[in-house]
Amino acid sequence: MRELKRILHVEDVPSIQVITRIALERLGGFEVLCCPSGQAALEQVEAFAPQLILLDVMLPQMDGVELLRQLAERIDLSDVPVVFLTGNLQFEEHDELSRLGMRAVLHKPFDPLQLADRLRTIWEERHHAV
Amino acid sequence: MQSTPPSPASPPAPSAPRELSRLAALLRYEILDTPEEDQFDDFTVLAARLCGTPIALISLVDERRQWFKSRVGLGVSETPREISFCTHTIAGSGIFEVADAQQDPRFADNPLVTGEPHIRFYAGAPLSTPDGYQLGTLCVIDRQPRQLDAEQRDTLARLSRQVMRLFETRLLAHRHAEQAALQQAMLDSATSAVLVTDVDGHIASLTPTAERLLGFSQQELLGQPLVGLFDPRALQRHAAVLSAELGRPLASDFAALTTPLPNCRREMSRWQLRHRNGTEVPVLLSVAPIRDEQDAPRGYLISAYDLAYQEQLRLRLQQIAAQVPGMLFQFQWRPNAPGRFLYVSEGVEAIYALTPAELSTSIAPIFARVPLADRPALLRSIRQATSSLSSWHAEHRIDHPRKGLIWIEARATPLPQADGSVLWHGLVTDITARKAEQLELDKQQEMNRRLLEALSEAVIACDAAGYLTLFNEKAKQWHRADVLPIHVQEWSAHYRLCLPDGVTPMPAERIPLWRALHGERISNEEMTLIAGDAPRHVLVNADPLYTSDGKPMGAVAVLHDITERKRIERLQREFISTVSHELRTPLTSITGALALLGSDVMGVVPGEMRELLDIAYQNSQRLGALIDDLLDMDKLAAGKMRFVPRVQALQPLLQQALSGNRGYAERHGVHLQLQPGEALRVRVDERRLHQVLSNLLANAAKFSPPGETVELRAERRDDRIRVSVRDRGPGIPAGFRERVFQKFAQADSSDSRQQGGTGLGLAISKELIEHMGGRIDFDSVEGEGACFWFELPCEPSATAEEGAR
Repeated sequence: MRELKRILHVEDVPSIQVITRIALERLGGFEVLCCPSGQAALEQVEAFAPQLILLDVMLPQMDGVELLRQLAERIDLSDVPVVFLTGNLQFEEHDELSRLGMRAVLHKPFDPLQLADRLRTIWEERHHAV
Repeated sequence: MQSTPPSPASPPAPSAPRELSRLAALLRYEILDTPEEDQFDDFTVLAARLCGTPIALISLVDERRQWFKSRVGLGVSETPREISFCTHTIAGSGIFEVADAQQDPRFADNPLVTGEPHIRFYAGAPLSTPDGYQLGTLCVIDRQPRQLDAEQRDTLARLSRQVMRLFETRLLAHRHAEQAALQQAMLDSATSAVLVTDVDGHIASLTPTAERLLGFSQQELLGQPLVGLFDPRALQRHAAVLSAELGRPLASDFAALTTPLPNCRREMSRWQLRHRNGTEVPVLLSVAPIRDEQDAPRGYLISAYDLAYQEQLRLRLQQIAAQVPGMLFQFQWRPNAPGRFLYVSEGVEAIYALTPAELSTSIAPIFARVPLADRPALLRSIRQATSSLSSWHAEHRIDHPRKGLIWIEARATPLPQADGSVLWHGLVTDITARKAEQLELDKQQEMNRRLLEALSEAVIACDAAGYLTLFNEKAKQWHRADVLPIHVQEWSAHYRLCLPDGVTPMPAERIPLWRALHGERISNEEMTLIAGDAPRHVLVNADPLYTSDGKPMGAVAVLHDITERKRIERLQREFISTVSHELRTPLTSITGALALLGSDVMGVVPGEMRELLDIAYQNSQRLGALIDDLLDMDKLAAGKMRFVPRVQALQPLLQQALSGNRGYAERHGVHLQLQPGEALRVRVDERRLHQVLSNLLANAAKFSPPGETVELRAERRDDRIRVSVRDRGPGIPAGFRERVFQKFAQADSSDSRQQGGTGLGLAISKELIEHMGGRIDFDSVEGEGACFWFELPCEPSATAEEGAR
């Protein structure tokens, strides 16, 4: 079984970019590509070939849900779990998102000390299942 | 009426007007086309014998033929008028004689002469009516030329007059028969009983009314003496009175009934007649002699008017009048004479405080009771009804001596009489009470109307059949339309009702008014009205309406506009949602940064700095919890909290809650313990139950002295499951009991341990448990700790199902 290495993170708030990067690179030992917008993510996703995608929901111009739709058209997400990270408690999972590849919703504020473990668990569950 | 005889001129063609009258006279005798009769044949036989001819005829001439009532020596019963000899006879006067038709230019080529019956000789005497119309002839005919002698002519003329007399007799007999039938019919249909006697007083005939009155049949009475129907003693008394008046003795028999009074007075007199069943029948009797042309008495006509029947009618009227509230009357209006009451019922006292006697001659006493102000209108209505002969209706006041001013209503119908008078039949009633009620009702209705219009709510009503009957002012405004008498089922489409979402049309069976009409009581249901730019959100209360005796009368709905409230609520929600998001983003950074710093990932932190980092970290977490609770509270209040209830085993949920809160408890030096218990199943939303358990466990840990144990336990209580969390803390002060589950409730704000709480936890827990069909409460004695518990309905144990997994 392969190991989770490359994570694509889409987040527009710089302070959270910093904390996430430390939590995932320093604590998790992952290789993280952080994009500040959906557009940037779409441009780089194929070259980066992430194994897991972490998406903020509230993004400028293109929100996380729309970005997921477009990502799903561009690459095969069946092996790439998509995790939403949102401050909106009313944001709920629903069928369309699950079908597109969403595997979990994490709520802000998140515990940076546990973030890497959570993502690894999600990735492994996906790959055990598949 | 022709006074001069017809001219002897010969033309056979009849002159028109005279001929039409003659034909009418002929028809009046009703003799044409009747069978042969011996009476007439006697005359033709005599005529033929006396004149010595083989043929004799009684011939009647109508517009197209001559028809023979009697004939001797001739086979045919009629011949055409144009060739008849008799036409010449009736056009002249006296006997018309043709000695030899072959020699006479008028008849030489007549088919009756040239052919059968080969007439050579003809002599006819006209049949003349008393008023001079010649209907036909008595004629004699021979096949030889000849002449009548003077004696024969005279005989023929006399015979023709006899034939005419026979016609007259028959006509009279006809008339008499008709007259008799008519008289019988008149007698039979008379309301009085009529009997006819001969001069000696034996009953000769009687009418069916008489049979009914006396109970005897015609056969039983015919030939019987009339006095048999009278009480002999009554007859004696009557005879005695008459004898005294006449000054001569009078037998107490039939004569007592028929002897006229002096001065030709003829009076109806009261008698009792004997009925077949032995009872006595009171009658008014009149006796009139029947005389012949010579004025000799031929019999008597006795008519008996049934007084019992009249008495019945009078009693019946009195009874009816007594039943009628008010006064019945019959008033006679006469041209050129004052009007007067022919009848007023006893009710006149109650209405006018007058007696029937006081009104027998004049109506003035009534007008005296009408207040001056009401008189002109009253007189006008009477005049109007009198001139148009239309029914009369008036409402006016009466100044009643005892009752004061009362309102009365009068109605009457005019019936014009042959003598030019007019009879008014009418009814007067006291409507004071009704007037007062009407006035009160009007006031009440006006009040209700004003109330309805003043309301800030819309009021809409429908009748029992479901048709809209009322919109108040607000309802009209909101619908931008007036009420239409349409069925409630069409209401939705016509006035555009929608579900609370403001777009989905409301199905008829969900309309509150419709449901109220079917007996439901609707309380605070939300819906939207579409009229104008934006949907209007309303809360509807609707109730069925019943009459005082419980019959459905319709339904009423009251609509309260909550559009503004909804708008504010939405703004509030948006505000909280935005604020919480805007707060959460920086909070995420702060909490995250502090967590990373405190974890030594970025290098070891010196002791005092770590203490400060911990304080900052815990407070940032508390801020996060506060925001979460605020959002939860808002969702619960708005009814937007989503519950996904599922039947599941309780024990694993308790286990998870325990491990989730163990860390927090241990920081307070408190141990959490799950008491063992039976396997139970509950129907809950897993996340919400976890939220409640976390809250209770955290509270218990927070308030327990270090070293103590908090016990978590689940047990079955009848059909419910109780989950309890027991601590060994200070307990709940009695004075705080009431406020424990209120928002931002804290027993003592100086308590340092409450630094970790938001004051919303228990309020939220209560809402969540109640949303899942349970209840939450606590038991506590101050100083001995507290036990918070909640109960949920117990789901049937599914051990079999679980075992199968």
